[in-house]
Amino acid sequence: MSKPAGQDGLENALDTTVDVETPEHVTFRVHVAGPSRRAVAYGVDLLIRGVVLVVLAVVVEMAGVTVDFEGASQGVLLVVMFSLEWGYYILFESLWSGQTPGKRMLSLRTVKESGVPLTFLDVVLRNLLRGADWLPAFNVVGLVVMAVDGRFRRLGDMVAGTMVVQEAKGRLGSALVISPAPTPAELEAIPASVSLSGAEMDVLESFLRRVGTLSPARELELAQMVAPMFAQRCGARYEHAVRFLGALFVRAGGHVLAAPSHRKTFFGRTRGGA
Amino acid sequence: MNQSKPSQDAFVARRRVHWQQLDDLLTQSKHLHRLPPDLIGSVGRLYRIVCADLMRARSAGYGQELVAYLDVLGARAHNRLYRASPYQLRKVGELLARDFPRTLRESWRYMAAATALFLVPFFIALFATLANPDLAAEVMPRGQLDMLAQSYAEGFGQGRAESQDVSMTGFYVYNNVGISFRVFATGIFFGLGSMFYLVSNGVTIGATLGYVSAMGAGRNILTFVMGHGAFELTAIVIAGAAGLRMGYALVRTHGRTRLGSLRREGPAVARLALGAAVMLGIAALIEGFWSPSSVADEVKWATATALWLGVIAYFVLAGRAGTTGETPGGTPGFGEGSS
Repeated sequence: MSKPAGQDGLENALDTTVDVETPEHVTFRVHVAGPSRRAVAYGVDLLIRGVVLVVLAVVVEMAGVTVDFEGASQGVLLVVMFSLEWGYYILFESLWSGQTPGKRMLSLRTVKESGVPLTFLDVVLRNLLRGADWLPAFNVVGLVVMAVDGRFRRLGDMVAGTMVVQEAKGRLGSALVISPAPTPAELEAIPASVSLSGAEMDVLESFLRRVGTLSPARELELAQMVAPMFAQRCGARYEHAVRFLGALFVRAGGHVLAAPSHRKTFFGRTRGGA
Repeated sequence: MNQSKPSQDAFVARRRVHWQQLDDLLTQSKHLHRLPPDLIGSVGRLYRIVCADLMRARSAGYGQELVAYLDVLGARAHNRLYRASPYQLRKVGELLARDFPRTLRESWRYMAAATALFLVPFFIALFATLANPDLAAEVMPRGQLDMLAQSYAEGFGQGRAESQDVSMTGFYVYNNVGISFRVFATGIFFGLGSMFYLVSNGVTIGATLGYVSAMGAGRNILTFVMGHGAFELTAIVIAGAAGLRMGYALVRTHGRTRLGSLRREGPAVARLALGAAVMLGIAALIEGFWSPSSVADEVKWATATALWLGVIAYFVLAGRAGTTGETPGGTPGFGEGSS
């Protein structure tokens, strides 16, 4: 069973992550997809269905005209419409294990709340319930229910016990680089006995990794929010807050790569939507 | 930071060869079971290594990016190793031959309620419009009613064009199966949606039948309806029963949370909805091709009787063999999700 992460601590209180526990008692943290991302995927799927319908309508009409079978072509089109409305999601989510073309494009996947892939009945349930989520028009019920739920589940997800997650393809990030490296003078300004908590080190590391991607003024502004606090605690003085935080990180045992090298964004494009 | 644990970079340098191996294996092969046997074994081993490394990285307080990387890698491997049972065509056969009728019998209370919700308004509307045909205009536009009455008055002695049969079959699939899905889905609102649709369908069908009969085409419309009605009317009631069952799970939870209670009923109501959909597909074919054909009324009535008896026998008898020790809820493999 999964539960929204962050109930056990503050660190993820605002995050859209869910802890999934496996039979090995290892918990994985997955990112659930929010309404906006899912709405885009829905739009893509809607577009695909619309195009398929129009193309088939043209084909069927042409075939209908040539053999003078107009009534029949209408019947075939209605069956196509039915299949696109109800069958499209059931087909793709069962064949592609929780993905449709739209979801694939946005790296979304429907999984069970326990993190495992869907069964056929789950797929049927969550997609038949679209009939309720759609009401009274344009998925209003579904959107409201998603907005209230911590895991952004619509009614269909709740009945089937599923959720939509963002599939991140993680890459091992390159080591942290502080460029130019802290000078001995900068390091000497901080006592060697300085000790930071793991959370503090995390904050420093994620900030230092962002240095260079922000404007210098913004970097300074962010650094100045915490630098005085650290400086007061270890009795140090600093000239430039960003440089100070870098030196502090190194002094407290954080690991940085000596030489500058090419940096990659770890999460790639998925980070923006998280 | 204390010195007893390896530095993050040393940890990464020492372990990343395993992570990379697992990553490669997962990326290369879409289906793990098609890998050579020794590689399949190594996926499991590498998965456990990544799990252990993830836990170490977390407790050591290594950087969030490293933890996130292991998280994603581990979760990917997990999803490959713990798969749902594959989809098999045989399961569809099992659903129709066994699981659907069993679930139906097990839900007889909901079936009874849904039948009443459909039939009581149906008969009230039927007798009301027989006594006073003008009442039918309350539920349907007058023009549409007259069109219906006229078309049934003509009867089906001539049959009709095949192309029209196809067209109407398409319409029945789109309209009727869609309606039954909605009857089911709206049951999530504590059963109220299903109740509404059952009653409104009962009223509409009753009023139509009453009006057309009052206009003197009663025999024709009954001849038309009876055949596919065996599948269509029962299927709409079944879809309603599935919706009621879903809604009732929210009301009476047997000590579970509302969601947990709902979840427990999930597989059963999905089976009912799927069974109803198949029945409606059959109904659409009969309604499109057989009901309007020019076959003699006597043959149609005989067929209709056989269809009704067949459907009832299916509901009552199908899937009874080998019931010992096995309940519909316990049928392995077909959608028994863990929750």
